Amino acid sequence: MAHSTVPRSEAEADETANTPAAPGGEAAARRKPPSGRLSLRVRFRRDRVLLLMTLPALLLVLVFSYVPILGNVVAFQDYDPYVSDNGIVSILHSPWVGFDNFQRIFADSAFWGAVRNTLVLFGLQLVLYFPIPIMLALLINSVVRPKVRALSQAILYLPHFFSWVLVIAVFQQLFGGAGLLSQLLRQHGYDGLDIMTDPATFKFLITAESVWKDAGWGIIVFLAALASVPTDLYEAAAMDGAGRWRRMWHVTLPALRPVIALLLVLRVGDALTVGFEQILLQRDAVGPGASEVLDTFVWWNGVRNQDFGYAAAAGLVKGVVSLGLVLAANKAAHLMGEQGVYKK
Amino acid sequence: MPLLAACGGSDSGSRDGTTSGKDAKKILPAFVASNVVTPDIPARNGSAIGFTAKLDLATLKTSVPEKLGKGGKVTVMSPFWGSPPKADNAYYQGMNSLIGVDVAWQNQDGNTYDQKLGAVLASSDVPDVVVVPGWNMTGRIPSAIISKFADLGPYLSGDAVKEYPNLAAIPTDAWQRSIFGGKLLGLPQPSPYVTGIVPLYRKDVFDKKGYTVPRSADEFMALAKEITDAKAKRWACLDMKWTAWQMFGVLSGSEKPLGWNLVDGKLVNRVETDEYLEALEWTRKLFAAGVVHPDAELGKTAPDPGPKFAAGEFLIYANNISQWWGRTAEQATQNPEFRIWGMDVFAHDGGDPHLWAEQPAGIFAFVNKKASESVIRDVLAVANVTAAPYGTKEYMMTNYGVEGTHYTVKDGVPVKTDKGNNEVLNAYVMVASPAATIAHPDFPAVAKAQVEWQQHAGAFTKKSSFYGMQITEPARYTNLSDGFEQLEDDITRGRKKISDMQQAVSDWKSKGGDKLRDWYKKLLDDNGTAAS
Repeated sequence: MAHSTVPRSEAEADETANTPAAPGGEAAARRKPPSGRLSLRVRFRRDRVLLLMTLPALLLVLVFSYVPILGNVVAFQDYDPYVSDNGIVSILHSPWVGFDNFQRIFADSAFWGAVRNTLVLFGLQLVLYFPIPIMLALLINSVVRPKVRALSQAILYLPHFFSWVLVIAVFQQLFGGAGLLSQLLRQHGYDGLDIMTDPATFKFLITAESVWKDAGWGIIVFLAALASVPTDLYEAAAMDGAGRWRRMWHVTLPALRPVIALLLVLRVGDALTVGFEQILLQRDAVGPGASEVLDTFVWWNGVRNQDFGYAAAAGLVKGVVSLGLVLAANKAAHLMGEQGVYKK
Repeated sequence: MPLLAACGGSDSGSRDGTTSGKDAKKILPAFVASNVVTPDIPARNGSAIGFTAKLDLATLKTSVPEKLGKGGKVTVMSPFWGSPPKADNAYYQGMNSLIGVDVAWQNQDGNTYDQKLGAVLASSDVPDVVVVPGWNMTGRIPSAIISKFADLGPYLSGDAVKEYPNLAAIPTDAWQRSIFGGKLLGLPQPSPYVTGIVPLYRKDVFDKKGYTVPRSADEFMALAKEITDAKAKRWACLDMKWTAWQMFGVLSGSEKPLGWNLVDGKLVNRVETDEYLEALEWTRKLFAAGVVHPDAELGKTAPDPGPKFAAGEFLIYANNISQWWGRTAEQATQNPEFRIWGMDVFAHDGGDPHLWAEQPAGIFAFVNKKASESVIRDVLAVANVTAAPYGTKEYMMTNYGVEGTHYTVKDGVPVKTDKGNNEVLNAYVMVASPAATIAHPDFPAVAKAQVEWQQHAGAFTKKSSFYGMQITEPARYTNLSDGFEQLEDDITRGRKKISDMQQAVSDWKSKGGDKLRDWYKKLLDDNGTAAS
């Protein structure tokens, strides 16, 4: 563990230097011990500008994330949104059915199929997708010439800005049953290969598409973390006779550890969210058996079939499980000595 | 004898059931025939009326002597098949100035319309007019229709309709279908009761290669194998499920009530029949044989078949009869060799086919309940123009657009321009239409063949027990059949087995299918059947 102490104490030093640096030059606050023991009023006065700046974001979160949570009551109803023009009035007019929707869900093989697909996809993405941005960031970081670096970054970022419709259309043109690859195979006497409609390999396809589209974008966070590693650490390591690999192992990766841990916690908390639009667009191509995940299950039953109470119940189950996962992952991060998402 | 079954008199009451007999008579609009031009081929066997003689464009009649529109703005959401034109194009402008209403179109992809409809209707921001095809009335959509749309009865029932002569000329059976929850809510698009799905094929390629049009399931399969040459990027067809329904005589799946039929005193649903499974099995074999274009594997998200059909990547596909003429006009200038034609319906064993009637109106335009009277009047003004019969200036404008821009006149025959093919598509024809009409002055041979195709198919068409009725199922059964269409596609594409369907049917029975059967039986006992 000795190798990791250097960057971590560095980070802690950063933190203590940062917290009291409130605008307005509150010299009194500076002399006091770090936050936690100050009275609420003093802390409020000290941080009021910062608080003000978070207010718009807080409002957005309230209005678009917290208020809609209340709508989950329809999970306990046979909800009919069409009885009135107003969602709240519709809730008042829809009959309460207790836990009926939940009973139906737990007896529905389609729901369990969606759970299975979601978890398998999560596992695949964790193994096949998650490490790729880290590797890419290390690669980019080792490029010295600024022009080459900027160009490769631009190329890596670009697919992130394509819509899923476009990405899937490109994949279809290349790997579809009448696509470039298939026709090439047929020209040479082999059978065509329809990768886009094969349920057996669909989850790998989805992962490959995600990697192509978003892995480049994912390197930004890691690049930022890498930029904060002081160069004298490398110099000191080099002086001690550490080669390229040992420097990466003992200096670079430890510097990335907190970021990796944080993103891992976030990813695990989000485990049940494995892509929506991307999967919905390809649902018909392989059938729901291979492609239905929790999010598309909710959408299909709610928006498409207007069985809103049922869909809300499925969504609620997903939300509760996700909450459990994020708490567990955060705990695990603490046990490993990392910051995680939050600390008490 | 027929009476009101259980229709909702008030908003809070039960809304399921149907409206017929005396109760229907009270709200139906009066019928006043319009005889602007006598058809060359009268309707027979449930076909449309056909016009094949040359039309004198100089002496077109006027069916709307003065603009009824009051210049208001009306938003319309409607399904659109193909690529929608720009919002402010010459066709929309021309139509709007003819009507006197500023119609703003919100065109949505027709293939996935069901995925938008439920959400839009659940919002508080429903457009002034929403077009809903019958096959999209799944789940709670019927309940939404009854509670979200305006009662047009006060404007159209009885003699009131005479203010809109072209609406008065819409056949009564189409209006009968527009009654939802005991009220006249819809503006109908009358359609022939003969099936609208035609197996369309590339006649030019067939003639050149010497292929003969198949007359049985086996002949189709053999031909499909002969046509397919994947190496040369050629496949025989797209998904032929709809043609398989016809070959095996499966009850209609376009609307839930049509899927029921009385056999020896007992109602049977299409999913319970052997024919249904046989048709699925045949379609599965077709996919397994590798003769289906890979695009069809994609299901509803597949791209528009038009360009690849024109390029000859596949030679047969089943789609609406309107594409017969649509694709002909679209390809006429750039691809003069191109000829699309319809195969006569055939039975799987080569004998006489058994077809089931579709409803005499399958697509409806509804007006938002919150719309003011002036908006409703403007919508009716729109409908009165779009429902103008063949031979009028209004029909020409609705179906061909502006002369000089969307079509040119050559030897007295209108020829659509590229702009016409791009802009004069869907939209206004979705609001209300005249009695089912087939008239293509630019391609009279196509019009003749279309009507003849319908009359041939019509000779083998029977009406199932709930033909002609507009039925709203009780809310507790609305989601019962949600999974069947998906399962069909899973089976035909080899992802599930026929035995999975048998299991799904037995689940369906125990989860409410049998109770639904009793509900329909009672409806039938109370109302009688409209089938003649």
